[in-house]
Formats: sequence, structure tokens, C-alpha cells
Amino acid sequence: METLSYLAPLFQLEVMWTIALGTLGGLIIGALPGLTATMGVALLIPLTFGMTPVMGLNMLIGIYIGGIYGGCVSSILLRTPGTPASAATVLDGYPMAQRGEAGKALGMATIASTIGGLVSAVVLATLAPQLAGVALQFGAPEYFALALFGLTIIASLSGDILKGAISGILGILISTVGADPISGVMRYTFGVQGFAAGFAFTPALIGLFALSEVFTQIERIGLREPAITLVKDRWPTRGDMRDSRGALVRGSIIGTIIGIIPGTGSGTASWIAYNEARRTSKTPEKFGTGHMPGIAATESANNAVCAAALIPLLALGIPGDVVTAVLMGGLMIQGLAPGPLLFQTNPEVVVGIFGGTFMATIFMFIFGMALIPVFSRILKVPRRLLTMSIVIFCFIGAFSINLNPVDLYTMVGFGVLGWGMQKFGFSQAALCIALILGPMMEANFRRGMLQSGDDLIAMLSGPITLLFLALTALSLCWPMIAARRAARRGTQPN
Amino acid sequence: MTKSCIAAAAALAATLATPALADFPRRPLQVIVPYAAGGSTDLGLRILAETIERLYDGTTVVVRNQPGGGGGIGTSAVVHARPDGYTIGAGAQGPIAILPHVGGAEYGVEDLEYIGIFARSLQLLVACKGAPFTDYDSFIAAAADKAPQIGNSGAGGANHISAEAFAMAAGIKVESVPFGGSAEARTACIGGHIDAMVASPAEALGAAESGQMIPLFVMEAERIDLFPDTPTAVEKGVDFTWSSYKGIIAPKGIPEAELAWLREAVAAVAADPQFIKTMTEMGELVAYEDGPAFEARVTKDAEISREVLESLGLLGMNN
Repeated sequence: METLSYLAPLFQLEVMWTIALGTLGGLIIGALPGLTATMGVALLIPLTFGMTPVMGLNMLIGIYIGGIYGGCVSSILLRTPGTPASAATVLDGYPMAQRGEAGKALGMATIASTIGGLVSAVVLATLAPQLAGVALQFGAPEYFALALFGLTIIASLSGDILKGAISGILGILISTVGADPISGVMRYTFGVQGFAAGFAFTPALIGLFALSEVFTQIERIGLREPAITLVKDRWPTRGDMRDSRGALVRGSIIGTIIGIIPGTGSGTASWIAYNEARRTSKTPEKFGTGHMPGIAATESANNAVCAAALIPLLALGIPGDVVTAVLMGGLMIQGLAPGPLLFQTNPEVVVGIFGGTFMATIFMFIFGMALIPVFSRILKVPRRLLTMSIVIFCFIGAFSINLNPVDLYTMVGFGVLGWGMQKFGFSQAALCIALILGPMMEANFRRGMLQSGDDLIAMLSGPITLLFLALTALSLCWPMIAARRAARRGTQPN
Repeated sequence: MTKSCIAAAAALAATLATPALADFPRRPLQVIVPYAAGGSTDLGLRILAETIERLYDGTTVVVRNQPGGGGGIGTSAVVHARPDGYTIGAGAQGPIAILPHVGGAEYGVEDLEYIGIFARSLQLLVACKGAPFTDYDSFIAAAADKAPQIGNSGAGGANHISAEAFAMAAGIKVESVPFGGSAEARTACIGGHIDAMVASPAEALGAAESGQMIPLFVMEAERIDLFPDTPTAVEKGVDFTWSSYKGIIAPKGIPEAELAWLREAVAAVAADPQFIKTMTEMGELVAYEDGPAFEARVTKDAEISREVLESLGLLGMNN
């Protein structure tokens, strides 16, 4: 009962206002391409100096939750992922918007984000200390195997295995540009100092999805523009919910698990969830054409990461992803050392954060649902004007991250690449996944080999590593297994 | 004692200098931070900017993040900025003292004007979960059998150099395991995937109290208040100290008057009680050093780094 009394400060008007404002601010930051949740949290930390810990930290958590959710808005409406977490939402969200179902797509994204957020908030509040220990089992070999498993998504994402593989390998090659993660030697930078850290990820993403779409639009200038019907519905039908039930459950669980593992984030979670939803679906061919369960999977997963990433932070003092690493700075400025002792020394802060994640998720749902008609008005803007504004946003977004002119070249380069890939049927998504997981796979493979004294067998012999390697093999063979099973049942595989 | 001296001197300097320099700064000062927003250098600089704005009415200080290239890009931007006093930068140890030796930096220690250091980040070597040693002596003994795996925040970074520099000074062998940042290294340490790591007091304090890490030694000349029971390498007979720092640098050739204003401003900030309180809560040690002392420290660090990088075969590898 005493524990519950720690929740009381949350219900002060002042605190609720702050959380609501943080969530709304995060939502807007997330919706603007190039501005990520990480940046929002980092820039607003100084604002929390004068606040009580519960108030300040929950405002930052609000920005985090709102920011991860907000990314879906521009993914669905503009084919421009607002944050890397929503890159996978583009696949089904944008086709739906083109069919005139933007409202429903946004509605499903909001509901999915809320469900994912609530599931992981429950896990945070009930099982944080127990689960945090599991996260510690992850060393270099385990991360390597997890990244490898993630990369198998490429095989199932692309209809054409060969083209998918080429896209994926190209992505991995591109990700090797920059400082070698183990020795620090520069690779393929050709003396350009701007490439020392490799191609910046967000500008690459903006180019790959948004600018490439602009190029495609320009090609179509003069052709009759498809009439886009206006948004009437924002609530998915009962049938939509039934179709998406599995994707929602799996997305929430996958997001929570990935969130707990430090060093992985919402980008990884949403891709893995998308793949699992597709793999287990009875109609996998509908994915990528504007299929509700696709949105349900990615959006439930990326928001499930938020509260879950707080589990290792609060229980062990280890940030679960980049945003929580910045949040850790916020905790320390408040004079609180995150770690096992926090639960004993400052239970009011821990319980306050638990409560705050629920509250921010609820605010996110309310704002999200209420703002759908406002957001959707973007589609009423004449296509040419919209295309032009997207170009401007692309440039502002890519530049605002690092104020580095090299990032603009990166964006334009990836824009041309993405346009070419789209034209010739190569999967941009496969390239995107390789850019996220390639560096994680490489650095951890090298680190693991270094630590095991170059003994591959010893390195890969841990139980978690073997589990992920087995899942990798299963995932690669799945299309064959599915085809055989379908053949046995006498139906044609798709 | 020294603190109040500095405060008095700063106050005196403020009263003497302000009228003569009433025309500086006329527009916002810009501080380039060579790292992404949210890290400890960034947070320190933001607190500094806020303090300058509070202490000098009407002054605006804008923090601009220019990350990339291990801090080399932002630092290079400072080196090449117009030397009018309006563009200054965060002088972090890695990009100014180490990076020029690794290569890929188009500047050297001598290409910068040193304004002052306002904080130092102390370092400790800590034993991780499951390590076969629990104090300094058992660590040295264990290292004789098998090189311990020591995690650091990145290849060629400040705490990679410090671990190797200590090993050189102590005559032991270590195996450095680079991670993508100190958070990753810390995770591996608490999870027992490495034997030891170089950590800041803030990174180690909570973990040490809860038994997740065991401090082995402090890289200072004298013991520190936060870890009163942890010895220094110096007391164990190894002549080795190392700390990284947060300072302010500027391009060469700033006019005298502007340089004087900036130096005095950093001194005043470092003496400000509210600044000291906020920084201390973040686990930073506020320690003021003036321009010449800053330059001397950088020169010494650069020399140690050169030796270590040479012994590792990494000298100039990116040139």
C-alpha cells in the first residue's frame, strides 16, 4: 500500500501537465523527419534541472514514448519515416494512405502503439528486477547471433531472393564505411573526414525512403494525379482488429524482449516483429500492399521497446537503447544513480517512473487519436506542393541532426540509390535492415573472436547464441518448410 | 582555500575587465561541441553556457553539436573558425590530444588557443563480475599469468590509451577490448563478459556500492573522496596518472581583449557555486585550470598518447 502512495505525486495537475506536454512535444518531434526521440530527450534535459525527479524524468519519458509513436505519422502519410523506429511502418502504411485509408492506418498505428506501450509498461512494473538479469547474459557472441537472426528478415521481405540478397549485401558493404569498430582504422572514407563515423543513419534513411519517392513523383509529373479520398474513419473495424490480433500480441512481446536487451532498439524490434507477423500470417502476400497487421506489428513493437528499455536502466544502471542512455544522464543530474540500489534508496522515483510510463502512453493514445484528422489534412495539400515541401523537410531534417554538410550528400546519394532500387525491383527495406544490423553483427563478431582468442567454436557455443543460430537456420529454411507443408495439404504455396 | 582564491580572483577580474570590454560580446557566442547531444561533454557545456548567460547579463551562448570522426570534425571546425572570439569549442581530450596521433585530423596540439579547463573527469580501473582478481595486488598478480581483458569505450579513445599507458608503466600485459561507447562496455562489465574496464567515478559509484564492480585503483596522484578506500597507482609504486577533461578552446589568433574576456568567463563559471553543485551531482569534478596550464596538460597527454599508440602500432594509421 505504501508503494501505491508513491503514485500520488503523479496526479498533481502540474505533473500531469508536464507529462502531457512532453508526450505531445515528443509526438511532434517524432513526426518531423530527422528529429528523433533521442534528440528531443537530449535537448530538453536542461529544462528538467529545476523539476522534481519524478516530474522531470516523466516529461523525458513522455517525449520518448511520444517521439517513437510520432514517427508513424510521416511514415504513413508521406512515406518518410519520422524516426528510424517507424521505417518498417512505411511498407504497409503508405500504400493504405494512397488507397485513401490514411485515417484507419493512423488509427491502427495509434492503437498498436498503445497496446505495445501498455504491455511493456506492465512488464516493467511487475518483473523489472527479474528480467534485467536475463539481459546481462548477452555478450558479444549473443549480440552477433541476434543480429544474424535479424538479417534473415531480408530473405522473406523480398519476393525475389536474389535481388533481396543483393540489397542486403549492398547495405552491409555500405555499413563498413568509417572507423573499424575494433582497431579504429578508417575504411573506405577516401580521406573524407565526414565519413569517419560512416554514413549517418537518419540522413541515409530519409534519402532511401523519402527522397527516392520524390524522384518517383517527379517522373510522374504530367500524369493524372490519383484522387485521394478524405479521411473519414480512424477506428479500425472489428474485422481489422481480428486480423491484426496475432500481429499485435507478437509485436508487443517481441518489442518488450528486444527492449530489455541493451544495445538494441526500436528500429531492430519493428523489423523483427514485421517479419514474424508476415511469416506466421496465412496471407503473407498481402504484406507490403497496405495490410493492417503489418502496421500493427511494427508499431506495437517499437512502442513496446520504450518501457522495456527502462528495465535494465532502472534495475541495473544499464541503458537499454540510445534514448535511455540519454535518460540516464537525466537521472544522474537529479543526483540519482541508476542501478540495483535505486529500488531501495529511491522507491518513490522508481514507482513514479512506472506510473509515468502508463500515463504517457495514455496521453499518447488520446493525442494520437484526436490529431488524426489534423494530420491527415496534409493529404489535402496539392501533390506538387506537397512534394516540394517534402524535399525541403528532407534537407532540413538531414542537416539538423549533425549540422554536417556531408549528411546532405549522404541523403541525396541514398535518394538516388533508393530511386534506382525501386525502379528495378530491389528492396529498400532490405538495405535499411542491413544498415541497422550490419554494424551490430560485425562489431560483435570481431569482439567475440578477439575475446575468445580467435576460436570460432568456443565463441559460438553459448546456449543463447546457439538458440539464435538455430532460429536463423529455421528462418532461412522457413519458405521451403512452408511450401512443403502447403503442398502436403494439397494447396498451392503462394 | 584555492576555490575561494579563484573566486576572489575571478570577481576581481570581473570588476576590472567588464567596463573595458563592454563591447564584447555583441552577438551570441557559439560553442561547438564535437559530440552528439546528451553525452557528458555536451551536458557539461550546456551547463556552462547556462551559467555564462546567468553571470553575464545579456550574453547569449548557443551550443552547437557537430559530432563525427571521434570529435575530429567539430574540433576541426573550431580550428578553422573565424578568430573573433564568437566561435569557441569544447576542448575534449580525445580530439585534441589523441586524434592528431592516430591520424585523420587536420590540426595539431599547437593549432589551438587554450582558454581554460573547467572540469576534469577522473578515471578508475574496476574489476568486473566474475573477474579473477578483487584488488590492485591480485590484479597485477593475475596479469602475470594471463593478460586481463579490459573494456574501453572505443579504439584509440581516451580510456583505451589510459589502460594501455598504465600497462606500459606497470610492466604488465593487457588485452584491450573496444566497445561502441562506455555504456556498452559497462553492460559487458556488469554482465561479466570482460575482466575489467576503465570507468569514471559516476559510472562506477552505484555499481561499486551494489557490488557489480570492484574499484582496483584510481588514476590520480592522491586518493579521491568518492572512493576513499581505493588506492592510487602512484601509492603502489607505479608513476601513472590520467584524467580526461572538459575545457574551452578557440581558434588561434583571437584578439587579446576577447581572449581575456573568455578566459575570465571560464574562471568565473568554474568558481560559481551553482555550477559546481550541478556538475558535482553529475559526477564531474569541477577543477579550474587556466590557459597555459591547459596547454601544458594537453602537451603531456599528447606525448603519452604518442608513445602508447606507437607501441600498439597505431601511430598515424589513418593518415
